[in-house]
Amino acid sequence: MATKYLTKIGYRIIARNVSCRHGEIDIIASDGDEIVFVEVRTRSKGWMMPPECTVGPEKMKKLKRAARIWTEKRNYTGFWRIDLIAVTLDDDELSSIEHIKEITEGIE
Amino acid sequence: MNSVSGMTLKGVKAVAVEVEVEITGGLFNISVVGLPDAAVREARERVRAALRSVGITLRGRVAINLAPADIPKEGALLDLAIAVGIASVQGGVRVKKPSLFIGELALDGRLRKVRGAVPAAFLAVEKGWDLYIPEENAAEVSLVEGVSAWKVRSLGELFAHLRNEIELPAVEHCEADYAPPQADPDFADIKGQSVAKRALEIAAAGHHNILLVGSPGSGKTLLARALKGILPPLSDKELMEVLLLRSTVGDSASSVRERPFRSVHHTASAVALCGGGTTLRPGEISLASRGVLFLDEFPEFTRDVLEALRQPLEDGQITVSRASGSVVYPAKVLMVAACNPCPCGYSGDPVERCTCSPSALERYRRRLSGPILDRIDLHLSIPRLLPEELVSLEGKCGESSAEVAERVRRAREIQTKRWSRYGIGSNSEIPEKLLRRNITLSPEVKGFLLQALNRVRLSGRGLSRILKVSRTIADLDAAEDIRLEHIAEALSYREGEALSWMKS
Repeated sequence: MATKYLTKIGYRIIARNVSCRHGEIDIIASDGDEIVFVEVRTRSKGWMMPPECTVGPEKMKKLKRAARIWTEKRNYTGFWRIDLIAVTLDDDELSSIEHIKEITEGIE
Repeated sequence: MNSVSGMTLKGVKAVAVEVEVEITGGLFNISVVGLPDAAVREARERVRAALRSVGITLRGRVAINLAPADIPKEGALLDLAIAVGIASVQGGVRVKKPSLFIGELALDGRLRKVRGAVPAAFLAVEKGWDLYIPEENAAEVSLVEGVSAWKVRSLGELFAHLRNEIELPAVEHCEADYAPPQADPDFADIKGQSVAKRALEIAAAGHHNILLVGSPGSGKTLLARALKGILPPLSDKELMEVLLLRSTVGDSASSVRERPFRSVHHTASAVALCGGGTTLRPGEISLASRGVLFLDEFPEFTRDVLEALRQPLEDGQITVSRASGSVVYPAKVLMVAACNPCPCGYSGDPVERCTCSPSALERYRRRLSGPILDRIDLHLSIPRLLPEELVSLEGKCGESSAEVAERVRRAREIQTKRWSRYGIGSNSEIPEKLLRRNITLSPEVKGFLLQALNRVRLSGRGLSRILKVSRTIADLDAAEDIRLEHIAEALSYREGEALSWMKS
């Protein structure tokens, strides 16, 4: 569902479910000259927490590390970012899809 | 060389700060190096938001270097320079001429007023750079001659200007108006006190320090405030000095030619008065430079504050040294100090009885040290008016401030003519060397002076101060030489009855 959405908004999918020692990345896509690492979170409706709140600092660290390893392996030196796609399901039917760009905090 | 510069303040001087920006690939991250303070580091958030508002989204690693790296940078005024620096790397904005950018950014890209616009203007003139300033700072910058500056309302407008899409309004040079100062209160409104008015006239004419001693309600504060109305307007050179100081603390006055009048409460700390603090700001004594520093309830100031005044009162400038550096601020003040003769306030009063114990008097007296009193040229006792005087003197009470101001102005003109080639403005600033050379005394006057000195035991500095005051009195008379009556009058302000309570 998420890949379908990304293709629709013009991203090119590079890989899916890439995993390494430090974690796994759901989707790797490219948006123009920028590589986007996408974390997909799916929740059924009625959950207490919205899906975007389930990515904590630990998960962020893992995502960053995995993405860095992926870029370094390929000697990629361009821009990259980490996005979140939150999918909410209603009885296995898609009810809403939300795309949050750049979930990392660049300023400490 | 990079053509984007910002600036930071060092004392009253602006130091150019070159802004270098490098953007490389990777995860988004902004870092600022080059000794930024907290406000500069926080600029990252403001700059990022402001750039987004004009359609520039930051990506990758953004490294911002503020050179020279060893000078601490302070204040939010580097925001604009950083934003332009980033945009010239990423946003397709080109800065062709070397330019100085100052301004604090709002999150939506608007520009906010900053302190230090006038020093920046001087820097821009000196280096021949273009200057871009927030619109709110335009009024003060317009007084600086020869600056090519542009008023910027928002970041979007500035970028459009740099891309030659629109033309920003330039700052037009304008002369400061010579509006006569509003006398409030006017001398004509003050009943009696003709001796005090005369002394204030001398103080205003020669920029001499003055001490007013009187019982409560005798009108010390009123007289001090009236002094403002008889001071001549600032000359161009003085105006620039005052403007510079006001700008460094972000204080813009309404009437620009008016001399500063700073009234300081006695709880003020030495740092507040003399300048300092972690980021080095000028104190009240510098902000009052070329104008009046009014210290009401003089003995109530803490001792170290009063003693800290000694050196600047003598030298006309103050050197503030801190770990972060040392700066020299001007401190050419006309100090007006007011105090009661004793803790209860009625010592020497013809009607009311003083209730102070001798030890209380002693303590009170000890607060005013000799060195400080020695630096005050005119000592003056303000008597309380009798009930008959208070009631009877209706309507006109002597000259108006405007008439006195005219005399003061003439006396100042004479002084300027005489001293301008030595680079000093008023009689109180005459250096010792020139004083002895330029003042000729007749043998008769010399004899009188010697006699007086034997009687009142004045210090060497006391004598110079008396000569300076005599010079001012002679100037008020438009007299070429100092005559006996001038010296006599000057002496009377020094060792008259005003301080008799000090000795009893």
